Amino acid sequence: MRPYHLFPIVPVLAMVLMPFLPFVNTDALWLGLPRMMVWGGGWCVLLSASLLLAERMMGREVPK
Amino acid sequence: MTITLVFTFAGIVLIGLLGVLGRRRPAADLSEWVVGGRRFGSVTMWFLQAGEVFTTFTFLGLAGLVFSGGVAAMYALPYVPIAYVLLFFLARRLWTLGREHGYLTQGDFLAGRYDSKLLGTVSAVIGVVFVLPYLQLQITGLGLIVRLVTGNAASGTLSMVIGCLLVVAFVLWAGLRGVAATSYFKDAIMLVVLAVLIIAVPVHFAGGISSMFHRIALLHPGALTIHSGPNDRTWFVTNMLISAIGVAFMTLPHTWPALMSARDPKALRRNYTFLPLYTLCLLFPMIVGFAAILVLPKSSSSNGILLSLSQHALPSWVTGVVVVAAIATAMVPSAGILIGISSLVARNIARVRGERRQFWLNHGTVVVACGLALLLGIFRPALLANLLLLTFSGTAQLAPANGLAFLRTVLVGKVPVLLGIVVGEAVVIWLTFWAPTLFGTFSVGMVGLGANLVVLAVAAVAERVLVARTAEIPAV
Repeated sequence: MRPYHLFPIVPVLAMVLMPFLPFVNTDALWLGLPRMMVWGGGWCVLLSASLLLAERMMGREVPK
Repeated sequence: MTITLVFTFAGIVLIGLLGVLGRRRPAADLSEWVVGGRRFGSVTMWFLQAGEVFTTFTFLGLAGLVFSGGVAAMYALPYVPIAYVLLFFLARRLWTLGREHGYLTQGDFLAGRYDSKLLGTVSAVIGVVFVLPYLQLQITGLGLIVRLVTGNAASGTLSMVIGCLLVVAFVLWAGLRGVAATSYFKDAIMLVVLAVLIIAVPVHFAGGISSMFHRIALLHPGALTIHSGPNDRTWFVTNMLISAIGVAFMTLPHTWPALMSARDPKALRRNYTFLPLYTLCLLFPMIVGFAAILVLPKSSSSNGILLSLSQHALPSWVTGVVVVAAIATAMVPSAGILIGISSLVARNIARVRGERRQFWLNHGTVVVACGLALLLGIFRPALLANLLLLTFSGTAQLAPANGLAFLRTVLVGKVPVLLGIVVGEAVVIWLTFWAPTLFGTFSVGMVGLGANLVVLAVAAVAERVLVARTAEIPAV
């Protein structure tokens, strides 16, 4: 297990656990949208960012 | 109505033509036909892989799921990105194994890694049996789309027949290149239509997206939360996980040709990095589904709500474009599924000798599989609909076999893996048809996977003990 394997774990956990987070699984809105949608969508974006970061770190580790 | 009907049939023919144009000359061999000679770059790969995400479920099912279950439909958003995390790290290894050993199908992969033709055949049979209903779902969805907008059952059946004929024609001619050519069109028109719908529908019925959700929070607050009931937290998490496991461990046979067709593993890794952003488009039909909660009576058919709202909010020619986009999400994935099914039959089930025979058997299977799905879709829609319940839970039972085969050294033999698969499938079938409420809202696929893993682990230990004892017995 390398450090770059750990980056995507945070967004994955955030998405799997979203129905158990009381401030997300509520009928209140963020930006006029259901909080579950904003939370899930936001972490999808951050997942891409974390994979991009992982790719950069992997690129540094393995000389091309 | 006439304008919508003209758009509908013109769209079906256009998709068929685009598929045929995917290749100038017919493919010379099965490898060229199934994986496009392994020469696809990032852009083509992007559309092929995105094509697996956006099917008729995106257009009809997801909006309907929101209409019936509210925000619980959000389970469908994260599972693909979660699965891509694993595939991101495995992409190079999978691609290299496929290239080095000439794998075209999941059956090839398992047979090669475990040195067992039996395991390859068993996995192929599971793939064909559980994915055939998924093919029928796409074809039935096509007919449903046309029937909903025209209000005419005969038009629905006719569209299914014409759609199937054209899909078979372009798949036989162009193989995976035909799927790639139509995928460009499908994703482009789908994005345009979804962008129009998420603006037009909420504005028409509720004055905008934000005011729509404020009204839902006031009138139907339960639709914004996951709460007790048939779509509770357990349902949400376990269904998300079993779907993610299925995608991450490549258990659906039609996902293999797309992955194996990449020119290099960098293209795959780049796509797995950015495809999570693309899956955000799944939020669009969900928003339309929320509009339906405010507008339509609870008794409305959930599968037809997106098209019903489009007809009310948009002029008929724009509805025609919406229908073409919806039809594309049925025809293009059907083509990909046909390639997955036929290559499994030709390579891992029938096992005929000679490349030419294999090639023609593959093409015959395309015709038979599509014809079977069409006939059952028209005359016995309920028969395969029952099997569809098993598509994801059933194919996910191949995950331990695939997962262990991804490792550099395969740690267990074919027997424990086969026993695990058999027990997992038996549990899933029993729970689905005879005891669906035994584990409440817990996914039957996850229960089956648990049983599968326990049997695999016990059998693997027993296998090791047996091998150790055999080694201790001195030769006489």
